[in-house]
Amino acid sequence: MTAIEMDGLRKSYKGGNAVDGVSLRVERGEIFGIAGPNGAGKTTIVECASGLRRRDGGTLRVLGLDPQSDRRELLQRIGVQLQEAALPDAIKVGEALRMYASLYAKPADWREVMDEWGLTDKRRAGFASLSGGWKQRLFIALALVGNPDLVFLDELTTGLDPSARRTTWGLIREMRERGVTVVLVTHFMDEAEALCDRIAIIDRGRVIAEGSPRELITRGRSDSLEDAYLALTGRGTA
Amino acid sequence: MNGMNGITNVIAVELKLIMRDPMSAFFALAFPLIMLWVKLRTGKPLPGGLPAVDATVPMLSVFVIGLAALVILPATLAGYRERRVLKRLRATPASPTLLFGAQWVAHMLLAALGTMLLIVVGLIGYGLTAPANVGGVLLAWTLGALSLSSIGLLVGGLVPSGRAATVIGLGLFFPMGFLSGAVIPRETMSESMRAIGDLTPMAPAVRAIRDGWAGDAMSPVTLGLMVAIFVVAGGVALRAFRW
Repeated sequence: MTAIEMDGLRKSYKGGNAVDGVSLRVERGEIFGIAGPNGAGKTTIVECASGLRRRDGGTLRVLGLDPQSDRRELLQRIGVQLQEAALPDAIKVGEALRMYASLYAKPADWREVMDEWGLTDKRRAGFASLSGGWKQRLFIALALVGNPDLVFLDELTTGLDPSARRTTWGLIREMRERGVTVVLVTHFMDEAEALCDRIAIIDRGRVIAEGSPRELITRGRSDSLEDAYLALTGRGTA
Repeated sequence: MNGMNGITNVIAVELKLIMRDPMSAFFALAFPLIMLWVKLRTGKPLPGGLPAVDATVPMLSVFVIGLAALVILPATLAGYRERRVLKRLRATPASPTLLFGAQWVAHMLLAALGTMLLIVVGLIGYGLTAPANVGGVLLAWTLGALSLSSIGLLVGGLVPSGRAATVIGLGLFFPMGFLSGAVIPRETMSESMRAIGDLTPMAPAVRAIRDGWAGDAMSPVTLGLMVAIFVVAGGVALRAFRW
């Protein structure tokens, strides 16, 4: 069963990061990584696939739906954690989870989600008082509170300290164990290597390599995914 | 479907968030009471013999609507845009109408709370006369809230930052408040001031609520004006809204 079928996706902006013919297949139940340098077009791919942006060309089916014409139906079934998105400062953890759950037709039990992600002790804490790690944990919980089949996580661990990053990795693996398909956008190769079943490396709006971490390491004739990435993007020598 | 649950939840959370902001709570709830106290210190009846309190409480109820609708509502919406709270909400199945509607109701509940405080203090402290036409006052208050908040939604739907929205909101609110008769009784204003004030969208609300309170006939033109402002400004706000 395929979660995402993307063929020849194109999107251009005035002065922005374009996507120039990206084709991807994401299978149900896997953690799929989208990696690449800053400005490669990773976020644009995710925004097109989650119905937040209109594509200029190409075909795209997400969970069998078209993100443009079936947008509202798709939004019932996916969860999204966005770069730079935020909550009101004064909202409490419990309130945010409860409110977001109420926006979905068939949400998960928000108290259970809060409990599973270790947020119950923080339920009365205001968003502004949370540390970066707790904010990310809340954003993951919000992405899951609608009981989605597919979640998009965009630069989830940027700005986190090493221990918070490792904890977050554990949480993402837990999602896969529950059968949720995860699309993970990252520019940390250690993260992609540790978590992803398959990875697409994007550069200048195109897919330059795709495969499991092991395959990419072999193809890049390297010892680690980071070395392979630098070899494949041709940026290791700079 | 979760629609009703969704909207009541969003309204409840938004109302709590407004109340947690000391500035909003002060402006909508305490500031009008201070105005009431200042206006009624001398206690002289108006020209025509109406006790000052019977004019001041209905007038200040429009002042409260104006603060909630023209200052606090746009600041909330624009602040959410600036902080990308709206961007996150856009990735949920919630419709813009639901989010807009919830914001509107939450801010109007704040205005209703401010109005009730004015009435209670007026009754206990100043011998306020109960409205002669309760239904008329409720209708006029609601139409006033709809028309002024549709202007607030228009500002909040377009302005990029919370600070800019506050500046624009205050720039609309204060001149309107003083010219429309929400702060200074219309009876004591000069002919020319009154003529200018009548051009502001706050004037129909002041006239209708005061007429209803005093038991005078409410002009259908005044009520129709408020409906027209609501339809036009609200329609433009929904179309122009940016996430």
